Amino acid sequence: MRFGVLRRHLRRTAVPIEPVADAAESVRGTAVRLRGSLQLRHVDAGSCNGCEFELASVFSPVYDAERFGIGLTASPRHADGLLVTGPVTRNMAEPLRRTFDAVPEPRIVIALGDCARDCGAFRGAYGVEGAVGDVLPVDVEIPGCPPDPETIVRALRGLAGS
Amino acid sequence: MAALFVATVLCGFAAATVGAIAPARVRTPCTVWLTVVACGGGFAVAARVMATGRPVRIVTDHLLPLSGLTLVLDRFGALFVAVSAVVAVCAMVFRLGYHGHGLSSRTASCVLPLFVTTLLLVPAAADVTTFLFCWELMAVTSLFLVLVDHRLRPEVQSAGQWYAAMTQLGAGAILLGLVLLASRSGGQSFVAIAAAAPHLPAWVRGMAFVLVVLGFGSKAGAVPLHVWLPRAHAEAAGPVSALMSAAMVNLGIYGIVRVGDGLLHGGPTWWWLLVMAVGALSALFGALHSATSRDLKRLLAYSTTDNMGLVLLAVGASGLFASTGHPGLSLLALIAALLHVVFHAAFKGCLFLSTGSIHQATGTRDLDHLGGLLQRMPVTGTIFLVGGLGMAAMPVLCGFVSEWLLLQSMLHGLPSKDPTIAVTMPIGVGVLALTGGLAAFTVVKAAGIGLLGLPRSAGAADAREVGTTLSAGAGVLAVLCILFGVVPSLVIPTVADAARSVLGRPVADPLGAGWEVGLAGVHDVLAPGLVALALLALVGALAVVRRGLAPGRVRITEAWGCGRELQTARMEYTATSFGEPLTRVFEDVLRPSHDVDVSHIAESRYYVEAATVHTSLDDAFERRFYDPAHRYLQRWGALARRVPNGSVHRYLAFGLVALVVVLVVVA
Repeated sequence: MRFGVLRRHLRRTAVPIEPVADAAESVRGTAVRLRGSLQLRHVDAGSCNGCEFELASVFSPVYDAERFGIGLTASPRHADGLLVTGPVTRNMAEPLRRTFDAVPEPRIVIALGDCARDCGAFRGAYGVEGAVGDVLPVDVEIPGCPPDPETIVRALRGLAGS
Repeated sequence: MAALFVATVLCGFAAATVGAIAPARVRTPCTVWLTVVACGGGFAVAARVMATGRPVRIVTDHLLPLSGLTLVLDRFGALFVAVSAVVAVCAMVFRLGYHGHGLSSRTASCVLPLFVTTLLLVPAAADVTTFLFCWELMAVTSLFLVLVDHRLRPEVQSAGQWYAAMTQLGAGAILLGLVLLASRSGGQSFVAIAAAAPHLPAWVRGMAFVLVVLGFGSKAGAVPLHVWLPRAHAEAAGPVSALMSAAMVNLGIYGIVRVGDGLLHGGPTWWWLLVMAVGALSALFGALHSATSRDLKRLLAYSTTDNMGLVLLAVGASGLFASTGHPGLSLLALIAALLHVVFHAAFKGCLFLSTGSIHQATGTRDLDHLGGLLQRMPVTGTIFLVGGLGMAAMPVLCGFVSEWLLLQSMLHGLPSKDPTIAVTMPIGVGVLALTGGLAAFTVVKAAGIGLLGLPRSAGAADAREVGTTLSAGAGVLAVLCILFGVVPSLVIPTVADAARSVLGRPVADPLGAGWEVGLAGVHDVLAPGLVALALLALVGALAVVRRGLAPGRVRITEAWGCGRELQTARMEYTATSFGEPLTRVFEDVLRPSHDVDVSHIAESRYYVEAATVHTSLDDAFERRFYDPAHRYLQRWGALARRVPNGSVHRYLAFGLVALVVVLVVVA
């Protein structure tokens, strides 16, 4: 099949996807200009696993964020930024700093969920050092406890521009 | 020139005398510089002989009882004298800054110059007695040098015993072979033997050749007579192991070529098939063990076995070509062999000397305790790297040229109609390819584990760059590695002359000189100079491109370790783990043994107190051949010790029986 025919065929039968949402309310604006691809290293800084649960759905066949060019990487060396969940516990503060240090510049930090934004239910707990913003410069916050997959996908798509 | 050669030898003996009588304060510098002067003289004589082709001849009727002394240095011998002299100068300069290993003792200071002098004398010996005298002197002095440290470390004693046994057995075989030839030739000078050799019966020639290959092969570290080499070369002091591995083993090759080609003028096909088989076996076995050793010096010693195996492969191929009527290819293969001897001396000397520096700076030669040395010892590390790349036969370094020539000579034998060549040459090419790959693996391991990463012990962490003399000794050889690799035409004509002089047949020069190394009548050319230029241009272009593409600032951070707070050297790859896959593939040959020792705390078996793992590889020939032979000899020795039990009556009875036997025999 000629390439043009294939392209027409794809255009006709492609899965209809939602248009890019206006994610402005959750994106403060970053130094990084992305064009359709966003690779993130996920760090659980002390989460209750609720956000992880939703995150798993984001990459499940139902929401399938990969089709928007959004992916999770195995190493911060390959990532555009960090996706941090949970309040930053004392044990995870240093590893989080080290992981941030390992991401090449320019880089984004996304605080996913209420705990990452302002410690949420864990505020003032003895093992918590603070919110992600107290440890790293946060570029994007995604609210919710936990944020549902649509919210996460919308925010990430807004960031990736896809 | 003869006077200069005599002066050289006398200077060497003077250095030995000074070493024996001078006070400890001035002993080392005096002996070292006198030896360096002797080596300079030896090199000058050898260079003159190689340039003019007129042999230097020294004949006296005294000095040695009954036979006198005959020294004739021709082009072929001069090549080996020159190689030994250069290696010895570097090793002696290195020795100035090298401490430890008891090299400053009176015995060692006396024996080291003596050893160097014999290295210069052996290739000049021109009759059987002189040759055997120099050979034995070389063997005994090197044995002393291996043993200098024997009071401190028990493994030195074992290495010395192995070396003594193997070198004496080898010398015995050489003695038998040469005496057999001399007795049948009506004269013991090499000229007389060479003149009579074509008329000798085939069994005499064959037997003498086999004996000589056995004897010289053991000196060259050929499998299965190699067992002494990884021990002695590893346990000897840095400069001594460099001398042994870069100069002494060459004389084994010298002996085989001198007797096989020079005295016997070549022989039937089976001689050379034997040499090729020994060479191929040594190359593979040495390369395999070198790739799996974790002791740096043992690794280099096994690599010597590997490289001498390649040289023997080339020597065998040369003889095979000659015996099947391909004189041009025969000369080419011999040139490849001699060239590899020269280049091996350069890179192996460099490697052993820089390993000596590493040993001195860190106190260990176990790769699993080294690491991070390129940062701490940049000069030594670079020198080691250059030598290592030479050993891996990378282009633009010297090992590449000789292995390329060997490959070419074997490949060009393939169109031959002769079935022997059609069968052996592809095997030879395969052996060369496999050993080349294994050598590259070895170098990646030695340099990657030893020089890069985090230091794996306190010794390696505290390592500081060594002194100038150490770096200079090894550095000169590293520079030679690069120089020979980029401009091989510096040495190729000389080596070709040497090869032609020992073959004694007028064969047209198969190699073009100048920037290119080309084979006559063949379109393959190697222009290492151009390759070097291209490489430089490529590196320059990459640097420019990188500067153009990189977005300005470069940030250097810690290696990514999953954000762990503690990142230690224990998380690094080790030499053992690097070699593990290879060990697994060649399990049948290497027979690795693993010993896991777990101890539990007294209260509960669920809690482990300590776990230790020992892994070891053993030498198949040692296990299958030497250990049973050793046990057998020990049993008979124990029985024999019971005979003289101290009883005077029994000794008197022995005397009586001996007298009766003598009387019966005489009557």
